[in-house]
Amino acid sequence: MSDAAALEVTHIAKRFGGLVALRDVSFRVAEGEVMGLIGPNGAGKSTLFEIVSGNLPPSGGRVAFFGRDCTADPPHVRRRAGLCRSFQKVRLFETMSVGENIAVAARQCLPPDKDWRAEVTSILERMRLTPQADRLPSEITLADRKKVEIGRAIAGYCRVLMLDESLSGLTHDEAEELIGEILALNRDTGITVIVVEHVLSVLAKMVKRLVVLHNATVIADGTPSEIAHDPVVIEAYLGTKASVLR
Amino acid sequence: MNRRRQSLILGAAAIVLTALLPVSGVNDYIVAVAVRMLIFIALGQAWNVVAGIGGLLSLGHGVFLGLGCYATGILFNDYGLPPWLGVWVGALLSLAIALVMGTMTLRMRGVFFALATIAVSLALDQLARHYVDLTGGDNGLALKFLGNSLWFMQSRRPMPFLYAALVFVVAYYWITRWILASRFGLEMRAVRDDETAAAAAGVPVFRTKLLGLLVSAVMTSVAGTLYMQSYQAIDPETAFGLSQAIQLQLPALIGGLGTSWGPIVGGAVMILLSEGTNLGSTKLGIAGVDILVYGLLLLAVVMYAPKGIMGLFNTRARARSES
Repeated sequence: MSDAAALEVTHIAKRFGGLVALRDVSFRVAEGEVMGLIGPNGAGKSTLFEIVSGNLPPSGGRVAFFGRDCTADPPHVRRRAGLCRSFQKVRLFETMSVGENIAVAARQCLPPDKDWRAEVTSILERMRLTPQADRLPSEITLADRKKVEIGRAIAGYCRVLMLDESLSGLTHDEAEELIGEILALNRDTGITVIVVEHVLSVLAKMVKRLVVLHNATVIADGTPSEIAHDPVVIEAYLGTKASVLR
Repeated sequence: MNRRRQSLILGAAAIVLTALLPVSGVNDYIVAVAVRMLIFIALGQAWNVVAGIGGLLSLGHGVFLGLGCYATGILFNDYGLPPWLGVWVGALLSLAIALVMGTMTLRMRGVFFALATIAVSLALDQLARHYVDLTGGDNGLALKFLGNSLWFMQSRRPMPFLYAALVFVVAYYWITRWILASRFGLEMRAVRDDETAAAAAGVPVFRTKLLGLLVSAVMTSVAGTLYMQSYQAIDPETAFGLSQAIQLQLPALIGGLGTSWGPIVGGAVMILLSEGTNLGSTKLGIAGVDILVYGLLLLAVVMYAPKGIMGLFNTRARARSES
């Protein structure tokens, strides 16, 4: 394990004209960690995600990936380096089969000496999508669509996986199953996972550390229990302590 | 029988039938219609690469057809350069224009690229009308006829062009198949479906779009040389006009965007309908019915078969395999 953080954002700021979307946001994520990022709607979570993945340029600050400044890198370069993501609203290649969706990333990101077909087969098996391999995304369930997106995100080469509200819209059982798969992925492969959600009770089952965004800035950073009892977080976001971890 | 085998048998039958056309006793008019059909299929195949597989709506693709025609014609008439060499000058010019146009517009999303293709085609239309000494202006450019010659790609009869156009269609079919099966094709399809998701899957979006445009521009320009040699003349309206631009798009739109068979089926339907209605309109004394039919056909495709004729086949085949 290297000394450098898997991901480090330093003094990130983002302005859209007069609107401040992010202000002096800094945190580190250690390699192999499963970290949660929470905050109410409009807190800046998605903007931060877009900046880290390279879809939006920050107005200030830097993003470092395993110690290397990648602030100016385009999204595909970050992805090939192993910085992977899912989307809040699932974005699949709708005219391609499930297998082809995963093949796109496998063929881009796998080292040339590796067999991309074997990689696709392995991802389909890991995500339990083999029976759906030849189906179109429009022909599978939302839970499976989310799995395809995660499968595509980890295909080829992945060191940090960023999941943007991947559990939303799922039934309780589906969410439990997906959480299990994400944690197994982290355990088996050592992939660092950053999960964005706005429901703390969901995240508390997955992560050992939480970063809370509110009004465009970080207001707390700690374990789920510390966060649940943090008066600043309670005041700004959670409301009452009792309902937090339920 | 699997679909690949069916496709190969159908393709081989179509090639043999077309190749036997001149010796089957039909007159030159029928052969000329077949040549026109094959040329428009080839042009549709070229447009299909950028728009069908890559999802880039090039509304002024006549630019590359015009560059291929004018470059070959001017170099032949004024400098005696045979079309075998002129074709590459046209291709290089198309490559250069596509590179400039793509570099300026393909980083942007939305309609900028489509608008840029129209703007370039309008500009070239004006240039072609203005430089009368070079291009023949509004009247267009007619090739000097030096007699039947393979070296000058000239013939009084349409038969040689039938075989040349057939070679083009077969070659472009295989290029399309190769692109669809390749990593590049997968990248283009991913970008067509969702640029943001494609980038998140590691696809270099701008490079992929630009490469798709360059390939399509060269294919169109090379087919433009065949167009020029077959018709022996070109004018600004035919090269850069809106009507021509629409005709380049129709084979793939009618047949099925992004498929290898779509432009072939669509081109055949389009020309057969056009000739049929043209004949009808001549007999009835009503001009321009074929253009009206194009419009109605396009409307029907958009409303009832947005994935084209091949899309209807594919849906039925999928439903059959699932049942």
